Amino acid sequence: MRDTRTPDLDRYPELHSRWNRRTFIQGAAAGTALLALGGALYRLAGDDLTRAARAEARKDGRPRLPPGQRVIRQLRNMGGDEGPGDVKSFRLRVHGAVTTPFELDYAALLKLPQAEQSSDVHCVTGWSRLDALFKGVRVSTLAEKAGVKGDVRHVIFESHHGYTANVPFPEATAPNVMVSYRMDGKPFAIEHGAPVRAIVPDLYFWKSAKWLTGVRFVVRDEPGYWEVRGYHNHADPWAEERYG
Amino acid sequence: MSDAAASDPEGSAWMAIKKRWRSWLRAVHRDAGYLAVGLTVIYAVSGLAINHIADWDPNFVSYTRERTIAPIAAEVPDDVAIAEATKALGVGPPRSTYRAGDEIHLEFDDRKLVVYGDSGTVIEQGRSSRFFLRVANWLHYNRGKKAWTYVADIYALLLLYLAISGIFMIKGKKGFKWRGASMVALGAAVPLIYVVWSGGPSASNRAALEAARTEARPSAPAPAADEPIERMPVRIPPPVTPPAPAPP
Repeated sequence: MRDTRTPDLDRYPELHSRWNRRTFIQGAAAGTALLALGGALYRLAGDDLTRAARAEARKDGRPRLPPGQRVIRQLRNMGGDEGPGDVKSFRLRVHGAVTTPFELDYAALLKLPQAEQSSDVHCVTGWSRLDALFKGVRVSTLAEKAGVKGDVRHVIFESHHGYTANVPFPEATAPNVMVSYRMDGKPFAIEHGAPVRAIVPDLYFWKSAKWLTGVRFVVRDEPGYWEVRGYHNHADPWAEERYG
Repeated sequence: MSDAAASDPEGSAWMAIKKRWRSWLRAVHRDAGYLAVGLTVIYAVSGLAINHIADWDPNFVSYTRERTIAPIAAEVPDDVAIAEATKALGVGPPRSTYRAGDEIHLEFDDRKLVVYGDSGTVIEQGRSSRFFLRVANWLHYNRGKKAWTYVADIYALLLLYLAISGIFMIKGKKGFKWRGASMVALGAAVPLIYVVWSGGPSASNRAALEAARTEARPSAPAPAADEPIERMPVRIPPPVTPPAPAPP
């Protein structure tokens, strides 16, 4: 028996193109809706970590997870112009408004007082990685060794290919801010800033410059790579300071 | 040729343009479309890939492997330690080696191995490139600068031509006046509705400012559960006396 929902296309051949078009649009719309629904379900189903983190609070009273963030298990590669990534050619310049500028190679960095800390990091694109164990040297240790002058107000993290990120001096010398070479007991992969990157956990992660080449102490603020491209100059995740 | 056309060549040219402009527009649109195919594929595929950069790595497939060998004491000389590590791992001669602290680094062209001598833990990291996407993303980001800036500019102009000429290509019921106008309006409404709905680029900053103000506002500490809540006496404000009318 003929399907009564379909017109008799043999009898009315002029309806062919219209009917085919309608069927195509219906199919495309249904397919898109299914994909969207599937994607939403997939995201919601696998987000226990985010729900748990939202229920927690930090010692300073702020929620553990800043607004608009979701928890992921591994750092994502957000791109950038990579440095050479090897330890042999690594050099870190500590300079600017300091009494004793100096340069470190990788072995010299490992000989400085070391710190190890568990931190949460938050990317401006919306993901957060919790409880990452970072090992490295605190920026405050570098500042002390270099003899920072009294009028310094900002710290500029410098990387290969001219990338910079600016952080106010008090926040850059907080106890949880470091130049780090190890995460969760492993060296950083090249895409995550090997061999040494900055870690500034309480600001959006673009401030934690990868492929670090320098730490410069300055009197006047110098907005960095993303800051001059429309991103917020300060980048506090709890105030959602994403864009300037 | 008619006498009128012969006597008015400018008028005849104008008539020809008036009669044929749509077919010329279509012909140029068609060829511009052919020219744009390659670049559109590159920008669109790369756009999809980069748009979801927070969910995957659009350039590389990376791996990290962990294994254990016998610990290598800090006192062992560097060359001996490196030879021991290489032998224990069963790998060929590295491109570059380095030893610092308890770390022994063995660098190869496509991977690196870091041996933590005190524990014998070995971390191997490597990656392989997603060839097409990596090149497409590199072009999309205009990492090469130089001539590609001009190529990208020309492509943008080409797209503008395709969009605008597309409006006028067909006349009649399916042309701009009827179906076209509603479809163009629908397409243009999508970004407009989104900007209005989301509050636009300044919205997140306004929300952040409001959040900061709320946080800065002093609030009384909540009483402990077993403390009685002290009732403040309600003060009724005095009636407001209307100001005296200004003297005439």
